[in-house]
Amino acid sequence: MKISLNWLRDYVQLDASVEEITRAITFLGFEVEGVAHTGAPPLANVVVGEILTRAKHPNADKLSVCTVDVGPAGGVKTIVCGANNCDAGRRVLVALPGAILPGNFEIKQSKIRGQLSDGMMCSPDEIGMGSDHAGLLILDGQPAPGTPINAALPAGDTVFDLEITPNRPDCLSHLGIARELAAWYKLPLLYPQEKFRGVIDESVANALRPDLLAGVRVDAPEDCPLYTALIVTGIKIGPSPAWMQNRLMAVGLRPINNVVDVGNYVMLETGQPLHAFDAHTLGGNQIVVRRAADGEKITTLDGKERALNSGMLVIADASRPVVIAGIMGGENSGVSEDTTDLVLECAFFKPQSIRWTARKLGLHSDSSHRFERGVDPHSSLEAACRAVDLIIETAGGSAAGPAYRLGGDVPWKREIVVTHGYICEKIGFEIPEADMRAAFESLELTVTREEPTGQRGTAWTVDIPSWRDDLDRPIDLVEEVLRLYGTERIPAALVSSPGLSGDDDPVVLFERRVTEYLVGHDFHECVTCTLRPAREVLTWTSQAAAAELALANPFVEDQSHLRPTLITGLLESLKLNQSRGVPAARLCEVGRIFVEQNGQNFECAAVGFIIADPMGDRAWLKREPADFYATRHHVCALAAAAGVDIAGEVLKPVTEQYFGWQEGHAACAGEMALGWTARFGLLNLAMVNALGVEGKVYGGIFAILPAKLTGAATRRRFSDFGLFPAALRDLALVVDRTTPAADVQQALAKAARAAAGNAFAVESVSLFDVYTGAGLPDGKKSLAFALVFRSTDRTLTDDEVSVAFQRIQDELSKNFPCQIRK
Amino acid sequence: MQDQLTALVARATADLAALNARPEFEAAKARYVGPNGELTALMKQMGSVPKEQRPAVGRLINEAKARLQAQLDAALARIAAAELAAQLGPAVDVTLPSPDAGPGTRHPLTLVREEMCRILRKVGFAVADGPEVETEYYCFDALNTPSDHPARDAQDTFYFPASTRFGNVSKMNPEEKYLLRTHTSSVQIRTMLKGPPPIRIVSPGRVYRRDTTDATHSANFHQLECLYVDQHVTVRDLKALLDYIFASLLGPDTKTRFRPHYFGYTEPSFEVDLTANHLPKVKKDWIEIGGCGMVDPAVFEAVGYDPERWSGYAFGMGLERLAMLLYGIDDIRYFYQNDLRFLKQFA
Repeated sequence: MKISLNWLRDYVQLDASVEEITRAITFLGFEVEGVAHTGAPPLANVVVGEILTRAKHPNADKLSVCTVDVGPAGGVKTIVCGANNCDAGRRVLVALPGAILPGNFEIKQSKIRGQLSDGMMCSPDEIGMGSDHAGLLILDGQPAPGTPINAALPAGDTVFDLEITPNRPDCLSHLGIARELAAWYKLPLLYPQEKFRGVIDESVANALRPDLLAGVRVDAPEDCPLYTALIVTGIKIGPSPAWMQNRLMAVGLRPINNVVDVGNYVMLETGQPLHAFDAHTLGGNQIVVRRAADGEKITTLDGKERALNSGMLVIADASRPVVIAGIMGGENSGVSEDTTDLVLECAFFKPQSIRWTARKLGLHSDSSHRFERGVDPHSSLEAACRAVDLIIETAGGSAAGPAYRLGGDVPWKREIVVTHGYICEKIGFEIPEADMRAAFESLELTVTREEPTGQRGTAWTVDIPSWRDDLDRPIDLVEEVLRLYGTERIPAALVSSPGLSGDDDPVVLFERRVTEYLVGHDFHECVTCTLRPAREVLTWTSQAAAAELALANPFVEDQSHLRPTLITGLLESLKLNQSRGVPAARLCEVGRIFVEQNGQNFECAAVGFIIADPMGDRAWLKREPADFYATRHHVCALAAAAGVDIAGEVLKPVTEQYFGWQEGHAACAGEMALGWTARFGLLNLAMVNALGVEGKVYGGIFAILPAKLTGAATRRRFSDFGLFPAALRDLALVVDRTTPAADVQQALAKAARAAAGNAFAVESVSLFDVYTGAGLPDGKKSLAFALVFRSTDRTLTDDEVSVAFQRIQDELSKNFPCQIRK
Repeated sequence: MQDQLTALVARATADLAALNARPEFEAAKARYVGPNGELTALMKQMGSVPKEQRPAVGRLINEAKARLQAQLDAALARIAAAELAAQLGPAVDVTLPSPDAGPGTRHPLTLVREEMCRILRKVGFAVADGPEVETEYYCFDALNTPSDHPARDAQDTFYFPASTRFGNVSKMNPEEKYLLRTHTSSVQIRTMLKGPPPIRIVSPGRVYRRDTTDATHSANFHQLECLYVDQHVTVRDLKALLDYIFASLLGPDTKTRFRPHYFGYTEPSFEVDLTANHLPKVKKDWIEIGGCGMVDPAVFEAVGYDPERWSGYAFGMGLERLAMLLYGIDDIRYFYQNDLRFLKQFA
């Protein structure tokens, strides 16, 4: 909110510089988002001058040479000027030699293109009055040449733009900020004097002017606990006085007329929003505070028709709503040029009600801003009296008492007991008792009792004023003391570290490991958006699964669903690089994905990568392109980082139900029931092409439920590998081309273990060749395996190994659909 | 005999010099010094040499044998060298670029996060983790956020339909809604509910706000928060932590200051500004970097800690903002586009 320094000075005698006051406000806890100056700053040697003659500069097209009368003291000066509007007869501001303009710019006598110049005629920005640099500041009203600038121009003001935190609605006013500054500078706070003290009669029936207002009824006391209506008669609408207009304009409000301006002025002074009705527009001379009917309509002051509902509070006359309570008036009941009699409303509305309605309607005003945060119902009457006072002062008329006053004015009383020791314990250093007490008192937190407690120092009973509803507990007073003591004075200290309290979360450890692995394998780590468009999610999951991943309230259409994979984001990044002509091949991301299973979503820790052909294929030395087996290698390593052994799992080829992956060229393992899933291989080529990505893209993803990640891996036991020489045998098996190699390997390993028995170990059975073609029947392939046998206690004899090898072959020939290839 | 030996050595010298391959060499070697070789044959004639001439002839033969062996050695060395050279191929141009892409790079947000975690680890903070999908309780209620607080509004927070279920995100109350966490403070609540103090955690992670994407805003961004709960934790301790963090991160000329502020879950609360002469965008200005405060007693009550016994502080900041400050990045969108020209600058 905007706060005028001139205005503040009505309530507190601030002598400090603007910089010091800015600092004070900042450390009181209100962020200063801007400081603007209006009017002229104090400047010496800048006076009014009258341009007598103007001639073109002999040596420069765009410059003029003028003679300027700067008054009896200075006489007539010759001044070179670059502005277009330096016409003879105009009165302007002249900075004479010796003047120091804002920006520490000193004016000296000088030669400009060979022509002597004895000063400078000023544009607004040169004298710190805004940013206008287009031409000279031309003075109205013919001030006498030689008049100092600060006598010729109205005095300036400084306007602070403050961010008021939601806990301090009392500071949405000049009086509130003045109170804070008075406390900071230890100065007295000067309240505005109210002259009007009309008799407030609780009895509605006793209204003296039933012709203007016959009755006030509050039908929704839960939303409007307090409603006051005052009557002012015989006023004359006109412009408000200049001093009031200047202040309103300084803080960004447009003056309307004396009554409306007084309402705004009092709101900005005290924080209490007010509303003035033309008494003659109130149908039936009634005011009813009620909930709107569903579908009821009102046209607000901004000219817009708004549909209301039964959750919204309105001020109505006998038949129709005239104000959306606390938010904005209707155009049918406002003050107009012809208004002579007023009803002035001063109410307390429940913040929740105003907040809800303002949101619902998307309608926010200075009034709703304050009611939402909470105004002080206990000082509202004073604000109303202040407004009546100012209306009478500026628009004439008189108060016609008594006022209507509905609702309970629950007496305010709140005390907090706090000890010196408690505050010191919370802040961690000593502040003297006297300083703490002074801090309370300066904020009008009256200490009503003071008693020693021994160890914990003095206990103060502090009386909390009604406008400080935010102060409720002893801890709240710690902040008040610290604010006024100055947070810049918190003494430095060393961090006390009693040692590690725990290990890093297993998810974090997993993420670190896989990031290191992939970066170590030349991948570039990416960060892509978690929220994805529906059309993209549907290339990756079923319709039903996508529905489960949808947000209730997306902000933009292309960020409507949780991501079911990391691959799509990586493809998007790949495409961006390709479209920008940046070669990119290996991208990875580590982050959360959301997997739908049987109508439930599971948040998983995940790691994904893609490998594309680098663009253009222009390399002086060719490399083998990526393939399925590279992705398998990486995914196995990533799963191992989570303690999952994919190599030991059954890998299945993907089918079309695995969106995004190319059937026949990709595999999957795991499932949510196990707590993890892995997919890898070639990305669906049609999908990749549809995205506009060039070439084949391989990828892999491993996802695991965070709960499945455990901190410490089980410690392994050493197993003796034997130093005696190994016996080697190769065996080629011819099988159907569709038989998975893993099945053959499994059968072979089982047969080998059986054949070796307890005599020696089958150290490894590894596939080293796959052959199809000449010499084999159609539809067959040959798989060649190397078998390694070893004993830990002797050298194996050729005979015993040959016997075992034969047994293996016999077993396979008999029980596995294969032929031994000789 | 002498003439024969001289002739033999001369022939062998010429012969061996012409050899280029190992099999030819082996054949030549056999031809001269093998069991049926020429030198061997001459040596066999020693028996027919008169006794008095034998020492002289023997010397001659030994000399010839030594010279022949030297020639053989030289030839073998030459052939072995040629073989190695053939195996090696031509010399590489060491200045040619590698066709392999790389090295890989860690994302700047990861770099900043890990650096912060390392700094905090030194003073006893362990990294904690929690779900990105949260519930109203963990994200708002337990953090002393009133039920009609603007932050909870559907205007600012992403919610899920009431029918959406998450199998591994626990709810406190069956009727509360799932949402995307707006801060990582929810991790603090889950950590405190798991066990008693003392607690010293740092929780980095992705958070979500329903906001327009522009140069400084994104629907998802990253935060890092610290929480310390123990007995006798004070405002002064909090200030000491912030001073330590930023001096570690930015150097000893870094200064921090607290400005009183308001957050629902801390009391008193502060905004943290820093200044560091060497940072291009900071210089002598104060830059707001995060928020902090002493854990509000209401939060302790929500997680079942006795506020009379325990006290604590919390600090939070945006990782993008910090990275932008550290690296001089002026647009938050660079972090999520993953242009390699961007990513390669920081690793």
